Amino acid sequence: MQKDIKNIISDSLKINGGEYKEIRIEENNSTRITYKGNSRENISINSGIGGCARVYSNGGWGFSSFNDIYESKNKMSEAINLSKLNTGKSINFEKNSAGKISIPARSIKNPKNISLNEKINILEHYKDLIVNKKNINGCDISYGDLERRVIFTDTLGNEIEQSFIHVILRISANSTDGNEMLQSGFSIGSLGDFSIVENLDKEVKECVMKAQNLINAEKIEGKESTVILDQILAGVFVHEAFGHLSEADNVYENERLKKILKLGTKFGNKDLNITDGAKIPNLRGSYDFDDEGTPSTKTPLIRDGELVGRLHSKETASKMNEKNTGNARAISYSYPPIVRMTNTIIENSNNNIRDILKDTKDGLYVKNWYGGMTQHEMFTFSSAETYKIENGEIKETLRPVKLSGNLFNTLKNIDGIANDLLINQGGGCGKGGQMPLPVSNGSPHIRINSCLVSSG
Amino acid sequence: MKKIKDYLSGKFDQYEIYSAQSNSRSISFESNELKEISSKQSQGTAIRGVKKSDLTFASTSNTNPDKFINVVEELSEYPIFAPINFPGYSKKEKQVKLYSKDTYKFPNDYLIDQIKLSRDKILKLFPEALCDSGFNLIESESKLENSSDLEIITKQSYSGFYISVQVINNKDMLNIYDGYSSSLIINKDQITMITEKIIKYLKLGEKIVEPPKNGCPVVFTPSGLLQSIISPLLVSFNGSNIAKNLSKLSNKENNKIIDEKISIYDNPSIDYSPASKNYDDEGVPSDKFDLVKDGKFISGYYDLKSSKEAKKQTTGSAGRSINSQPMPTTSNIIMAKGKDKLDNIIKSIDDGILIDSLLGAGQGNELSGDFSANISLGYRIKNGKLIGRIKNTMLSGNAFDALSKINHLSLETENIFGTINLPYLCTNNVEISS
Repeated sequence: MQKDIKNIISDSLKINGGEYKEIRIEENNSTRITYKGNSRENISINSGIGGCARVYSNGGWGFSSFNDIYESKNKMSEAINLSKLNTGKSINFEKNSAGKISIPARSIKNPKNISLNEKINILEHYKDLIVNKKNINGCDISYGDLERRVIFTDTLGNEIEQSFIHVILRISANSTDGNEMLQSGFSIGSLGDFSIVENLDKEVKECVMKAQNLINAEKIEGKESTVILDQILAGVFVHEAFGHLSEADNVYENERLKKILKLGTKFGNKDLNITDGAKIPNLRGSYDFDDEGTPSTKTPLIRDGELVGRLHSKETASKMNEKNTGNARAISYSYPPIVRMTNTIIENSNNNIRDILKDTKDGLYVKNWYGGMTQHEMFTFSSAETYKIENGEIKETLRPVKLSGNLFNTLKNIDGIANDLLINQGGGCGKGGQMPLPVSNGSPHIRINSCLVSSG
Repeated sequence: MKKIKDYLSGKFDQYEIYSAQSNSRSISFESNELKEISSKQSQGTAIRGVKKSDLTFASTSNTNPDKFINVVEELSEYPIFAPINFPGYSKKEKQVKLYSKDTYKFPNDYLIDQIKLSRDKILKLFPEALCDSGFNLIESESKLENSSDLEIITKQSYSGFYISVQVINNKDMLNIYDGYSSSLIINKDQITMITEKIIKYLKLGEKIVEPPKNGCPVVFTPSGLLQSIISPLLVSFNGSNIAKNLSKLSNKENNKIIDEKISIYDNPSIDYSPASKNYDDEGVPSDKFDLVKDGKFISGYYDLKSSKEAKKQTTGSAGRSINSQPMPTTSNIIMAKGKDKLDNIIKSIDDGILIDSLLGAGQGNELSGDFSANISLGYRIKNGKLIGRIKNTMLSGNAFDALSKINHLSLETENIFGTINLPYLCTNNVEISS
């Protein structure tokens, strides 16, 4: 960072007013390449720079974001003035500081060192593996890499510089019988490693085959069913079914919800253990410090079926008198940090997936994901692949399904957790208009003995 | 900018520069109290250059022209096939109103007071309720210029108000959300209307009842209709999907696709609607056009590239943000009203449901028009009356099937978030499971 910018930041923090002040400056460079149908749809390189000032006063926040970082001082004054409009009661934050620290990006195979030409050649090859096949009417390929450098400084004495490199790829094949449009796809991602994008021929060919098989697949009738979730979909499940309600900003000013989500409450069976943590290294939700300068942690959320922890920012932790877990994250300088998940996993138990399957007389094997959403205790998530299970065996392909549940019942309905944990890094999370935030989700195979499913 | 322009005119046969800047302010209340007041300023520039049929796109929020020119130079090695011609300027006789200088000037105190008034009305009747609500004001200016001597400067104002109310009873969490947007400041009457609608649904939602059996008639409120059926339906009308044969509607112009009671059009010419425009984001004049007329497919919505690919006329539907290329985007979507009074529709139903809101809609196979979601706000109708709220129930179906034969279309229409206007609709052709 240029010296004059550093001076601007430190001068801005010296402006009088506010009980706590911070400035975040960010520089980012991203590349995006997409294919749709039979051809390349978009290729773009974007570079951006900007920052934000955030001030705490009278129990609330003033926030001001900008592109012109030479405006930092004015924007800090503006944020101070905005924060004065709050009329609540302030709380005391913990006053820890990491001091001056600089953390480079994890870089195994940096996409910056791969030429645009090479990136395009790889993607073009995957496109060619999909198009012009029987019943296939095109592909959807979306590649993105992003390099972010974030400098966070605050009035507690933090001066933290962190860099991140993200790589993400989604590939899907579209099939049709001339009437209906179907698709099968997969998403992957990594922190700083372009090589995940390479050598995917087998996966792409499988994707084509699965899209073709969907044409003759039947739709199920909506019903309660036993479902076995593969590791990827179970990861989405834990994110939606439980993760969002463990974010303390839903709870800290909600007395009724606090009672319902009291630590020690039983939510699942004895072998259910759920953890979230940015401190779990080398995943897309990993970092050393969150966007409030708090060191990252690994937080047990459920142990032996009981609620034991939740995810916090400075404000929620102080207000609930719990330990700050360092989960305050912002998607970019345009947004203030809010409580978010990082890497969320259901821990391995000691069952074998073969035994769980053998024990299932009638049900569905649901794999891979399209999406998921949560509204308090209610959640839905959707599979990209569905197969019938009959007498302990996986049978024919069915159309993808949407699964729907309720926090208070569905976690208790998990009656089989395997020992084959896998983590998927191809997803992004949306909350409060900030999307897609890099997260990872993981789980072993799990069985839910009763879950509401419907086609689509 | 001159440096960039000189570079582009030397490099490409045709070029386009789109730059935009905006200021926004928002007030957020969380759990009944003021939590955050924020202000955002952003700016950016995007260019497109065409040489023969090869298109290059790049964007930046960085003000360094040399760095930007280097990026454009690199990207121009890998163009996208797009045989488009940037349009010249065509004068429009009647200009749609998009801007009021007063909107952004409304002081924070006024906005805070309006939110408090609405909150207090709700808390008076539901003291346990928690309201998250907010106001958002934006003032933006964009400039589009191209090598065909087009230069369009658009100034727009925006105000948005939302309120989300949560009431928890034991382990039941009732959540109701509504909002409105306009280029003018949202006035007291509009806020009162939203608040009263929320109160009506909160009252109706106090009692939880069993859902009815599958096969019953389902009445969609305008908001429920948008989330479940209209959103996946519009995916098939997207010109880019039609051009690439990814839509069921490719080459189906003038075919009957849904019930003849239904007509849907796109109208960008409504004064002070935030989705309105005089020209689209490629400089093509925008005007009202039909998507469906009496059940027949008339047209998709196109930008320059998709219309060229599909061999159709552009409908002036290009929309863009700084970081993305223009793409087909709807403006104000209107479904023509029906003949039946809403009261009479409800009265005619012995056993059915009314759906207002869904969770997880739009996360399935939308290309086929399929939808499936948890009903987050739905009420059971019994003997012509709304008797209580249903829970843990899913809705699924296909937009084309659901609209293939409808029972009723209401005379009343409602505006959803200020840009979409739909009636209430009743159909049997959806699946309910619980």
